[in-house]
Amino acid sequence: MSIARFSPFELLLLKSRSQVDTAKLLLLAWVLVHRQHVSEGQRRRRLAQVSVHFRHGHDLAPIIHIAQQQDLKAIQLAAEVLRKECSKEHSLGVMHQAITVATDSGELSLANHYILRFLADLLNVAPLTLNTLFQELTGSPLAAPEDPSRDAYWRIHDADYYAQKAREAETAQQQAREAQEKAERQERERQQEEAERAHAKAQAEAERERNRQQEQTRRQEQRERKKRQQQESQEGAKQRNSYQRASSPPPPDRTTRALAVLGLMPGASQVEVRKAYRRMAQLHHPDRFYTESEHQIALASARFQRIKSAYDYLMHTYR
Amino acid sequence: MRDLYQRLGVSPQANDEELQHAVARCPNSALRQDAKAVFEVPKHRESYNQTLTTLSDIGQLRARLGLTHGAHWQGDVANDFSLPADQAVSRHDELVDRVSQAVVLYNRLRGLRGIWLLIVTFIVGTGIGVGLGFTLSQTLAA
Repeated sequence: MSIARFSPFELLLLKSRSQVDTAKLLLLAWVLVHRQHVSEGQRRRRLAQVSVHFRHGHDLAPIIHIAQQQDLKAIQLAAEVLRKECSKEHSLGVMHQAITVATDSGELSLANHYILRFLADLLNVAPLTLNTLFQELTGSPLAAPEDPSRDAYWRIHDADYYAQKAREAETAQQQAREAQEKAERQERERQQEEAERAHAKAQAEAERERNRQQEQTRRQEQRERKKRQQQESQEGAKQRNSYQRASSPPPPDRTTRALAVLGLMPGASQVEVRKAYRRMAQLHHPDRFYTESEHQIALASARFQRIKSAYDYLMHTYR
Repeated sequence: MRDLYQRLGVSPQANDEELQHAVARCPNSALRQDAKAVFEVPKHRESYNQTLTTLSDIGQLRARLGLTHGAHWQGDVANDFSLPADQAVSRHDELVDRVSQAVVLYNRLRGLRGIWLLIVTFIVGTGIGVGLGFTLSQTLAA
């Protein structure tokens, strides 16, 4: 009969003079670990300061270590102990301590926003009570947590990045403009040259016309002569020459076909594909034909399906 | 906060290339823009991942403690992280079980102590006797 080993936190809990206090200590340490802009030493001192009245009776370092590892089992155990043993007044006290530890006249970090809400749920503190408590302690209402999964968050918190991006875009635009000007200049030069060349060509053309007429008469004579010869030599003989087939263009592969469905040339970029798809989808969407006959709608939905599958295929291939 | 990995259908361990592809294929333009803002810069992604880890941990804790639908998590606070409640055992009960088991084992060991002492002295005594006999026979043979 073997028992699984006791985890460090379980041992701490068993050795502690008061299990609730140890559990509270771990949860507060968890909050502290998620505070930002605080050094390790400050965290330790703050925890010691909070736990003066706790009957934990052991060193704080292992608790902080467990909190740093974010050991889910230990935190769950602490939460269960706390929930089991805390009365209503007591739980408000714990909430109070958690809020002071989380803020301390600093800003509430994003993780702590959620941790505090979790603790409030655990201790049966209603959102309204939490808000009042938070306002009393910090002087500002508990705001909704910011959302780093949104673009707007990073526009506020990393404005430098966006400024740099805007600068880069501007330089790119400028370069494009310069390139365009250059192209226009070249175009003008080319046109001038062409005009000159056209003039020279017109002169040469007349000369060539004369030559061609002479050539033609000569060729006709030659051809007649040849025909006569052929008729003489191959009069009954079968022709065994196989026809040389004109080389047809290579069969369009699936990508080209899909591009053609979207009305694009081969080699179109992803952005172009997406734009074309939008336009075509709007144009051929079956919902546009709902006033027309069933047949029209069926046709439109078939077209729409074709466009959609072409787009899906292209999006798959553009890696 | 939303779980962008889940919404784009990639794993959180995906490398940059896979992520970029997933972002490019995302049909929702607003989500695409947000995902670009987060995943294009390594620093942003790192900080986002940290919050994500904490939130998913809290989500697991809530599921295990039966707090999935707690008052503070209604609305769109962190819906992506609200897992269905699981039937995991209470850690506290488990701990109590283990402690009681350990106590029973300890008591049994204590109770067996007298018998064990006898057996051990017997084995040691026979061992010494055999050893002495062996050395004696060796010397006599010599």
